[in-house]
Amino acid sequence: MRRTQMLPLAAASLLAAAALGGCAVDQNTGASSTGSGAASGSVVIACTPQEEQCQAMAAAFTKATGIKATYVRLSSGEAVARLGSAKSKPEFDVMYGGPSDGHVAASKGDLIEKYVSPNAAKIPDKYKAADGTWTGTYVGALGFCSNTEVLAKLGVAAPTSWEALLDPKLAKNVAIAHPSTSGTSYTAVWTQMVLNSMDETKTFDYLKKLHSNVLQYAKTGAAPGQMAGRGEVAVGVVFSHDCVKYQKEGFTMLKTTFPSEGTGYEVGAVSLVKGGPNPANGKKFIDWTLTADHQNIGPTVGSFQIPTNPDAKITDEMVKLDQVKLVAYDSIAAGEKKKALTARFDAEVAPAPK
Amino acid sequence: MTTLLTPAAAPGAATKTSRPPARRTTRDLSLVVIVTVVSLILAAIVGLPLLRIFSVAFAPEGWEVVSSMLTSPVNRRILWNTVQLGVLVAVIGTAVGFVLAYAQVRLKFRGKRILHLIALIPIVSPPFAIATATISLFGRNGLITNGLLGIQSDIYGLNGLTMVLVISFFPVAYMNLKGMLESLDPSLDEASANLGASKLRTFLTVTVPMLIPGIAGSVLLLFVESISDLGNPLVLGGDYTVLASRAYIAITGEYSVASGAAYSVVLLVPALSVFLIQRYWVGRKNVVTVTGKPTGTTQLITSPVLRIPALAVTFLTCGLVVLLYLTVLGGGFVKILGVNNEFTWSHFQFVLSGIGSDAMFTTTTLALIATPIAGLLGMLIAWLVVRKLKRTAGLMDFVGMLGLAVPGTVIGIGYAIAFNTPTVIAGRQWFPAVAGGSAMFGGAVAIIMVFVARSLPSGQRSGISALGQISPAIDEASTSLGASAATTFRRVTLPLIRPALLAGLTYAFARSMTTLSPIIFITTPQTKIMTSQILAEVDAGRFGNAFAYCSILILIVLGVIGLLNLALLHPSFRGVGRR
Repeated sequence: MRRTQMLPLAAASLLAAAALGGCAVDQNTGASSTGSGAASGSVVIACTPQEEQCQAMAAAFTKATGIKATYVRLSSGEAVARLGSAKSKPEFDVMYGGPSDGHVAASKGDLIEKYVSPNAAKIPDKYKAADGTWTGTYVGALGFCSNTEVLAKLGVAAPTSWEALLDPKLAKNVAIAHPSTSGTSYTAVWTQMVLNSMDETKTFDYLKKLHSNVLQYAKTGAAPGQMAGRGEVAVGVVFSHDCVKYQKEGFTMLKTTFPSEGTGYEVGAVSLVKGGPNPANGKKFIDWTLTADHQNIGPTVGSFQIPTNPDAKITDEMVKLDQVKLVAYDSIAAGEKKKALTARFDAEVAPAPK
Repeated sequence: MTTLLTPAAAPGAATKTSRPPARRTTRDLSLVVIVTVVSLILAAIVGLPLLRIFSVAFAPEGWEVVSSMLTSPVNRRILWNTVQLGVLVAVIGTAVGFVLAYAQVRLKFRGKRILHLIALIPIVSPPFAIATATISLFGRNGLITNGLLGIQSDIYGLNGLTMVLVISFFPVAYMNLKGMLESLDPSLDEASANLGASKLRTFLTVTVPMLIPGIAGSVLLLFVESISDLGNPLVLGGDYTVLASRAYIAITGEYSVASGAAYSVVLLVPALSVFLIQRYWVGRKNVVTVTGKPTGTTQLITSPVLRIPALAVTFLTCGLVVLLYLTVLGGGFVKILGVNNEFTWSHFQFVLSGIGSDAMFTTTTLALIATPIAGLLGMLIAWLVVRKLKRTAGLMDFVGMLGLAVPGTVIGIGYAIAFNTPTVIAGRQWFPAVAGGSAMFGGAVAIIMVFVARSLPSGQRSGISALGQISPAIDEASTSLGASAATTFRRVTLPLIRPALLAGLTYAFARSMTTLSPIIFITTPQTKIMTSQILAEVDAGRFGNAFAYCSILILIVLGVIGLLNLALLHPSFRGVGRR
C-alpha cells in the first residue's frame, strides 16, 4: 500500500528527469529550434512609442503591404539591452522609435546595420545618420509643461526662457528627469552646453542654480509632465509633444511654452536590426515609415511629434518648428560627452543641498 | 491542525531542536531523485541566467562599477540608501505583520474575518498602483494632505518609499507569522500564567521567543523584497536612489548592461549577509512546538496592555490599505483621479475589450501554470533544507532565494541571454530556445520560468519557518515505519505545513500576476502580459486605464486566492492530513 502511494511521485520525478535528459541531444542533430519566425510575410518590431501608436502602425503597415507586423513595446534603453542580450539570435527585424542616441548605442554594440532607404532622400539631412545606420521619422522639441493653476497660485507666468526657470518663486516647483536615466533630460543638459558655447563650468553653474528649484529628478523623461499635470510641481521640462499628449488625456490645465534662448530636440529614428529573421520585410517596413502615409498616423492616436517627411501633415497641436528657436544639436558630440557630463551631474549637482 | 501538546507535557516541551542525525539514506532512491530534480530545476530557472549575466558584470566595464562601490561617494550613498531602506522596511513591515497576526490569533474583536481579508489584499500590488494611489492621496497636491489637511507634504524619498513598501510587503510577514502563531502550543502560555507571569511577560518571554524563526524569516524576506523592488523607487524615490533603480538606470539610460549587472552583484552583498545572519544565528534558536502529541485550545488575550496598542496598529494599517485600494478602484471610474473626478466607464471599456482582455487571459493562464510549480517546489526545497540536506542545505536555500534577491531587470536580461538560443553545454543541446518570439509557445515557457523563479522564495521561507516548528520525530516515525522520503513528504510533512503551502501558493499566484521588470525582456508579440500593459498606460499618462487594469488584476488574484483557500482548507483535503 505505502509503496504504491510513493510510486506516482517518484514516477513523475523520474519522468521530469528523463524529459530533461532527453532534451540533451547532440547539438548537430538538435536543430529543431531554428528560425520558425523566418516564415516569409512577417516583420517583428521593437517598438518604443506608446502602445496605441505601435498598434495603429502595425495594422496600417499590414494593410498597406500584406506583410504581417507584430511588435513588442518597450522603452528605448530596454530595446537596446534586449537586442544586445539576444545578439546571437535576434528576434526583431526593426527597432522603431526612441531618440537617436538609442540607435547610436545599438550601432556601437553592432546590433543594427546600415540601411539607406530609397525614401530617405526626402528626409532632411539633420534628421538622419550620416553613415546610414538610422533614419528619423519624427522630431520632438524640448519645452516647458506648466500647470496654469499652480502657476496662478504662485503668481508666476509660464516660463518662456531657461533663465525664468530659476525664479526663486518656483523653488521646489520644477521637475526634470535625471540626465543619466532619461534622454529627454540629457537633451536639456546638452542644450545648456550649446547655449553656453560648450563651456562646462557655465553649464554646471546653471544646473546648480536650477537644482534648488527642482523637486525631484524623475526617472523617465515624460514623468515631469505628469507631475505638472497632477499639480505636484508647477513646471516640468519635457518634450512638448508629451505635454500636448497629457493635455489631450484630460490634464486640461497644462500649457506648453518654449525657451526663447533656444531649445534642444530629439530625432525619433528607425533602424534595421542586424541578422533579424526577416531582413527583406524589415527594409520594406523602414521604407514605409519614411512615407507621409505612415507619418500621418501619429496625430490620430494622440502622438504629436513632428513628422520628418515634408509631405506629411502638420496638425495644430504640433510645434511649428519655424516659431521655435532650435539650437544646433550635434547628437554625435552629445553622445560622446554623455558619460562624463552625467557623472559630473551625479557628483556635483544631484547630491547638493537645496 | 493536527498537533500541539498536552498541558501535562507542557513545561519541558519546548525542546530545542536537536538536529536529528540527518538520514542521508543514499539507499532511498526517491530522495536522490527529488534532490536531483530540484537542483536541476533551480539550475535552469535561476542558476543559468544569473551565471550568464554575472559573467557580463565582471567584464572591465562592470568591474569598474564594482570596484568603485566603496571609493566613489555617489555609489557609497546608493549602497547606504539601499541598506537603510531594506532595514527600515524589513523591521517595520515584520512588526506590523506580527501585530496583525497576533491580533488575529490571540485577541477577540469584531470584524476579525474582514480584517484578515483586508490584510491580505496588498499581496496583490500591481506595479505603480500603490505608489500612484499614494501620490494621489498624500502627494503635494494630494486629496488628503492638501485637500483635507491643507499641507504641502513631501512624500518623495525615504519616508514615502518606506510607507509604500511596508504596505506592499507586510502581508507576507502577516501570513507567515499567523500560521506559526496558530500552531504554537497554548499550554506553554498557560504554564507561564500558572507560574504567575503577567500576560505581557508571557508575551515577551514565551510567545515572542518561540516565533524567532518566523520573525527572522520575515525580516529576511522583506529585506530582500524591498531592496530589489524597482517600481516604487522609480515612481516615489525622488532623489533617493537605490541599487535596484541604479541598475535599471544603467541598463535603460546608459545602455550599459555590464554596469547594470555589476550593481546587481553588489545588491547581493547585503542580501547575502542578512541571509547568513539568519541562517547561522537564528537557525540555532528554533523551538519545536509541533510534536504530534495532543493539545489544548488557545486562550484569547483580554489584557488591555496588549489589546489596545495591537488593535490600534491593526485598524490603522487596515484602514490605510482600504483607503489606498479604494483609491485604485475609484481611479478606474473617474476621468483623472484628483484632477477631473467626473464618473466614466470608458477606462473599463478600454481594458475589457481588445488587447486588454487578451493580456488578461494570457497572464492568468501562465500564472496559473506557474503557481503550483512554485508552491510545491518551495515546500520541497524547505523540506530538503530543514530535514534532509546537511552541508549543501545553505547553498540550496540561498539559490532558491536568488530569484527574488536579484532585481527583475537583471533576471530578465539573464533570461534573454541564456534562453533565446538553445542551451548548449559541453557540445550538447540540453533544451531548445524557450525565450523570444520564435521559441516554442511564443516564448511562454520562459515567462512561466520567470514567474516560478520570482515567486518561489516566499513559499520556501514560510515552509522553512513552519518546518522549524515541527519536531523531526514525526518525520522519523514515518521513516521508521517504512515510508520512503517521497511518501513522508507527501503524506506527513506537506499536510503539517499546509498553512505554509497555502501562503506559498497564494503568494506565487499574486507575484506571478504582478511581476513586471523581468517580463519586459522576454515578452513577445504572442504573449501580452498585463503588467507591461499597465506600464504602457502609465507611460502614456492614462492613469484611469492603468487603475482599471489594476482593479481587474486585483479582482482576478483575489478570486483565485479565495478558491485556493476553499480548496486547501476544505475538510476533504484536511482529512488527508488527519488520517
